[in-house]
This record gives sequence, C-alpha cells and structure tokens, in this order.
Amino acid sequence: MAAFVPPSRLRALTQLRCSIFQTSYNPESLRTGAKYLRARLRGPSMVGYYPATFNIPEIIRKYPELEMVDDEEQERLQDVIDRRRRGKGAPKKAKSKADSRRLQKRR
Amino acid sequence: MPSARVIRDIKARHGVNANEIARRAYLFIARNETLSPQVRHHAQLQLNTFGRYTRPTTVKNRCIESGKGRGIISEFGLSRVSLDITSSWARLDTLPQPKFQFRLKALKGELPGVQKASW
Repeated sequence: MAAFVPPSRLRALTQLRCSIFQTSYNPESLRTGAKYLRARLRGPSMVGYYPATFNIPEIIRKYPELEMVDDEEQERLQDVIDRRRRGKGAPKKAKSKADSRRLQKRR
Repeated sequence: MPSARVIRDIKARHGVNANEIARRAYLFIARNETLSPQVRHHAQLQLNTFGRYTRPTTVKNRCIESGKGRGIISEFGLSRVSLDITSSWARLDTLPQPKFQFRLKALKGELPGVQKASW
C-alpha cells in the first residue's frame, strides 16, 4: 500500500518539475493558443507554388520607352470595335441601380 | 495565360502571405483561454474582418501546367489527366484533347525518380 500523498504536495511536485524542465505549468490544461505561434508560417511556400509565367502586358508596362505593342490585345480591341460597329457590342455598363433595372426590363 | 481560377488562387496565396502574421496574432489571443472573454471576443471580431482571400483554406493546389483543380498528384503539382490548352490554341479547329500531363512528363524523363511500372 502506497502512503497517502496530499494533492497540494503533488501540485508542488508538478510545479517543480515544470521549473526544472522549462515547461509551462498549466494544471487546468487550459488552451493557451501557443500552437498558433509555434506553427511555421505557410505563406512564403504558398506564394511560390506556380512557376513564373511570361507576362507580356506587364513587360510592356514596365518598359514604356521601348514602345512595344501587344498584338493579341490590339486584335481583341479591334474585334470589340468591329462588333460595336455592327451593333453586336456589349451594352454600356449601368451607372446606377435604376439603369440596370431598365436594362433588365427591356429583355 | 492562366485561367481565372488560377489567377484567383494566386491572389489568395498572396493574401495569405501578406496577412499571415497578423492573423496568427489574433488567433493566439482568440484561442487563449487564459485571457479574459472580452479580449478574446474582440480578437475574434477582428479575425472576422479579414477578407476571404486571407484565409489559408481558400488556397487550392491546382495543376501548374493546365490549372485543373482535381486529380492533382501533389508531389509534382500536376494533374493526373488534364486538357492540353496550349496545343488547342495553335489549332483552333479542334477541341482541347485530354493530355496526360503527369504521364507525358514522366515518360519524357522530366520528373526525376518516376519510372514506368512493369511487372
């Protein structure tokens, strides 16, 4: 039979053990949120997931003095102009709520 | 040109990276049971003010070749089967054909350590 050890003495033992092994004394097992601070940051590795792509518009914007032209974009803009000329263009963006309601009614 | 979904995913990735430290700090306060409930509640309210694309759960690993969202072999970031969009742009008369990105790359020897199984 083991001798009776009062709880206060056991608590003192745990406290001492914590101070020796440099762990935090948390007798009620409360959540301290430490895991959110301890976890590694995931952002830096997330950013580099996709390989860098060759972005033509960005390069043109970066060096305006070279006066480069994005042929695909020019073609698209020309298409938009042509479609509008034939009356097949996209409607103008509604400026207010009343405008968008009117456009819906017409349909 | 990456698809809209890939662009959205890139946006989410940059958002997560930019706000990660602040979010972690608020998470620490909100989940810390040793602090007062009022403080924790305020921290939780602050967490709710962060935008949609600052949460790590909005980030999805998509195929780095085709942008497909399903059937990704995570070691390589490639889709098991995906549409080869670039070749269909070259020939507009055909629809995009399924291409086995992972398989083709492995057979070409572009994936180190991947061998064709045979038994």
